Amino acid sequence: MSGAPSVSAWRGPIRLVGKRIGLALITLLLVSAVVFTISGLLPGDAAQEVLGQGATPEQVAALRHEMGLDRPAAVRYFEWLAAIAAGDPGNSIVANKPVADIISERLPNTLTLAGLTTVFAVPFAFLVGIWSAVTRGRATDRSLNIMTLAMVALPEFLVATIAVMVFSVKLLWLPSITIVPQDPTLGEFLRAYALPVMVLGVGVIAQLSRMIRAAIIAELDRPYVEMARLKGVSQARLIVRHVLPNAVGPIANAMALSLSYLFGGAIIVETIFSYPGLASLMVNAVTSRDMPLLQACAMIFCAAYLLLVLIADTVAILANPRLRQG
Amino acid sequence: MANLIRRATRLPLPGKIGLALVLFWIVIAVIGPWIAPYPPGSFVNEEVFAGSSRAYWLGSDFLGRDVLSRLVSGARFTVGLSAIAVTIAASIGTGLALTAAVGPRWLDELLSRAMDTLISIPSKIFALVLVAAFGSSMALLTLIIAITYIPGNFRIARSLAVGLAKLDYVEVARARGEGRLHLAVVEILPNILKPLFADIGLRFVFIVLLLSGLSFLGLGLQPPDADLGSLVRENTSGLAEGALAIIAPAAAIASLTVGVNLLIDAATQGKAE
Amino acid sequence: MLSRRLLLGSLAAGVALAPAERLIGKPRRGGRIRVAGIVASTSDTLDPARAGNSSDFMRMFLLYSGLMQYDRGLAVKPGLAESVESTDNVVWTIRLRRGVQFHNGKSLDASDVVHSLLRHRDPAVGSKVKAVAEQFASARRVNAHEVELRLTGPNPDLPIILAQPQFVIVENGRREFSKANGTGPFMLKAFAPGIRTIVQRNPNYWKPGQPYLDEIEVIAIPDELSRVNALLSGDVQMCIAVSPGSVKRVRASSSHLVMETKSGLYTDLVMRQDNPVTGHPDFILAMKHLMDRNLIKRALFRGFATVANDQPISPLDPNFNAEIPQRSFDPHMAKFLLKRSGLLGTRLPVYVSPAATQSVDMGSILQEHAAQIGLNLAINRVPSDGYWSTHWMKHPLTFGNINQRPTTDMMFSLFFKSGATENEAGWNSPRFDKLLIEARQSRDPVLRKAIYGEMQWMIHRTGGLGIPVFISLLDGYDRRIRGLEPIPFGGLMGYTFGENVWLEA
Repeated sequence: MSGAPSVSAWRGPIRLVGKRIGLALITLLLVSAVVFTISGLLPGDAAQEVLGQGATPEQVAALRHEMGLDRPAAVRYFEWLAAIAAGDPGNSIVANKPVADIISERLPNTLTLAGLTTVFAVPFAFLVGIWSAVTRGRATDRSLNIMTLAMVALPEFLVATIAVMVFSVKLLWLPSITIVPQDPTLGEFLRAYALPVMVLGVGVIAQLSRMIRAAIIAELDRPYVEMARLKGVSQARLIVRHVLPNAVGPIANAMALSLSYLFGGAIIVETIFSYPGLASLMVNAVTSRDMPLLQACAMIFCAAYLLLVLIADTVAILANPRLRQG
Repeated sequence: MANLIRRATRLPLPGKIGLALVLFWIVIAVIGPWIAPYPPGSFVNEEVFAGSSRAYWLGSDFLGRDVLSRLVSGARFTVGLSAIAVTIAASIGTGLALTAAVGPRWLDELLSRAMDTLISIPSKIFALVLVAAFGSSMALLTLIIAITYIPGNFRIARSLAVGLAKLDYVEVARARGEGRLHLAVVEILPNILKPLFADIGLRFVFIVLLLSGLSFLGLGLQPPDADLGSLVRENTSGLAEGALAIIAPAAAIASLTVGVNLLIDAATQGKAE
Repeated sequence: MLSRRLLLGSLAAGVALAPAERLIGKPRRGGRIRVAGIVASTSDTLDPARAGNSSDFMRMFLLYSGLMQYDRGLAVKPGLAESVESTDNVVWTIRLRRGVQFHNGKSLDASDVVHSLLRHRDPAVGSKVKAVAEQFASARRVNAHEVELRLTGPNPDLPIILAQPQFVIVENGRREFSKANGTGPFMLKAFAPGIRTIVQRNPNYWKPGQPYLDEIEVIAIPDELSRVNALLSGDVQMCIAVSPGSVKRVRASSSHLVMETKSGLYTDLVMRQDNPVTGHPDFILAMKHLMDRNLIKRALFRGFATVANDQPISPLDPNFNAEIPQRSFDPHMAKFLLKRSGLLGTRLPVYVSPAATQSVDMGSILQEHAAQIGLNLAINRVPSDGYWSTHWMKHPLTFGNINQRPTTDMMFSLFFKSGATENEAGWNSPRFDKLLIEARQSRDPVLRKAIYGEMQWMIHRTGGLGIPVFISLLDGYDRRIRGLEPIPFGGLMGYTFGENVWLEA
């Protein structure tokens, strides 16, 4: 609608995006404080969890001192904050090795699973969402609608379990747990990930495609669409050139939400497929009261989410001429 | 009332099916305790995972309890708890979103920051930590779930509302000197309701599913209370033998979630057709 | 054709679900298997002192060897020690096997043993068995192959203590355990805490010909259903802790078997005796009568359990007192007792957790039966983590979960001696304590059994523990795996399967 933007037209968006980044960092700081506070409420501590069922109070006290858990919370918080700002998340008090090492083992796993699921699910969701929107109310829309509904109708753990029972136990096609061999061939790699990606993808597709459909339909009801139609603009061109750019704000937002689910929300899939990702690492950190590890994981989830939202916001700003000027 | 009935009869077929399913589950949730043939916790059958019989319509569960009785009691928890949680989440989320859209810039930023902080912590892990810290009671569970879904609703509603707030007609109203409340409630809210309802419908479904996910992680209701998801979870060992004890609650969840969505889809599109 | 006696023998053992298969074949060298445990976390360790869960125990017995080793029943046999002897049960002489090498080639020396035993006393080590190791007054290297271990008091059970996974032998001076250098049947190939442990055959293992397998990978699948699925889909060849409800499924598969190991493991209702309500004798007795042991055995354990009688010594233990009449499920009696003591209508919270095996369902059963006679029990299910430190024994009613201990003395001293840290119910009986010492000092097995029998009576009558059943351990495995035998200390041969099993072609 507007012509090629001049340099000055970009100044606004850049300033806006810069501001978003700043705000994201503030949020990150808030999260660290929230996580630290909540984790302080957890009953028991690492010393007790390490020593287990039969520990004497003296043993616990000795280990607690050795782990530095007997110092004030505020001191520990600011020490940690300073360290993490310098890029060092500290040592895991349970595993007795750098948190960075532990996370670097797991982060690639989470990224791989999230990446594969995105590659599988997002195009699918767009296809279903757009198709459904343009055939609104007709048989295609209804069957697609029922399909996406069925996809989220059952709890994830049940879908995963049924998938395992069918594809692994009965048919013996796919592995029931996700263990990627060292130096896998492409086939082995895809086979290992097939089931978890499918289970995670189902949820993402269902949620995202419905949001895309809703956003596009909202646009289709606008007067300009009717006008364009009257001018004889073809359906495909209408969707790609006019509707999508205008609907991009809500769609980008929905995508940010759906994709951030692939980090922390993968906990059930990680549990069922015994997949060593970050979500189970964080649950593990909660159960073993390994605060440095817990906080580091929380920061990663938070950062990932904020990054996705930042991208969504940026896209929305760039796409919406009014926001761009604001 | 008559108006509602007229509206209902004008719904397309899927909408009617959805409405029927939703009404069915609401009725079950309300009258459940009176139609259950046995107390949900009592061990009435010697056989575990028994099939359907005259005395036990849906057979027995992994401990020999009556599945039908547990199902109607589970439906009550699932429907009730999810409805309360989604209502809390949507009212607070949308309310804050409208406040953010029409309020001063700093308030918008503050709310957005607070919501981002909340939402960036993964919901199941957030719940895990809170349950580990405070224990799990029904009120707390509802609250945790509601809190979990406030930011999501807020983001969607805010994104829609902010988009509208920049539109000409709202700015015209603003120029007319309309108050912020008027802008939010009269100019913006009616125009974001449709996509919001779609979102709330999905969110209800997700709450039902989150509840069962929490049961999977052992964070659900306290026994002997069990929501539909816990019923599925506690009977998973019967999955391989195709026990009714797992199929029945799974089908219940599916019909509830599908029903809600069909209804909301039909209701939000009704006028366009 | 199998001889009748052989077949009867293994049936009498009552443990093998498919005895015929297990008797066939000679050990075969080679092959690789993957084994699924139940726990993996970042606290997974290669340090014997910190070994605290079943996966750690597996790792210990794969990589290291103990002075003594678990054997069938509740017995032990010599391991790195040729003999562990004493005349007074205070000063012990440990003679070491010759020609044993660590994985790095160093020869086993008495100084390694001294270090391995005494390091548990150091608080900085954080040993799980510090309390046990405190009875090691001193250890002295007599020569390269002999150690003199002096205890703080007599203890006839030292050989059994030395078979525990934490007391395996590490090399002298070793303090850092990111790698493992032991004398065990396998050498460490890869170790990622919380993810996997891969070990490969130690060609210089001190048992000639053993181990049989080339490589073992240990992973953990905490979710039971996933674990069994992984077994049935062939992703793992062996797994620990099959739930009773899954046995039918595993047995239905043509290529998998289940091994039942009878054990003394129990999950018990703990009634604190220092609380006015739960310590009331009538309340305690009423709760014991409210335990529907047959329902628990049938529904929760599908028969893979032995009905117990509110005392901790299982029929596996030679000191088991079979003369105590079985306490029955009797709600009327329970109601009468509660009414008499005026406790009917009380509302009490019961803490249950997945951490204590099946306690959630046991709690539900108890609650249901209690409700029927007018006693209001509120079930409080709490997560596994933090359960032992913050809930167990800390409230009037909780559930505990106690593993088989090797000796009667250990069961009693750990869980019933007045003042013991894990005295679950706060049981306090001077006479019991006196009998415990009498039994320890007695050298006459018949007299000792009589004393232990009396002590079982005492707990059965007035102890604040409801012990409904002894739980069998169930392991699932691929039919091609041979050599598994039940050892009641834990699943998969008391975690010592590594050096004993082989893979049939």
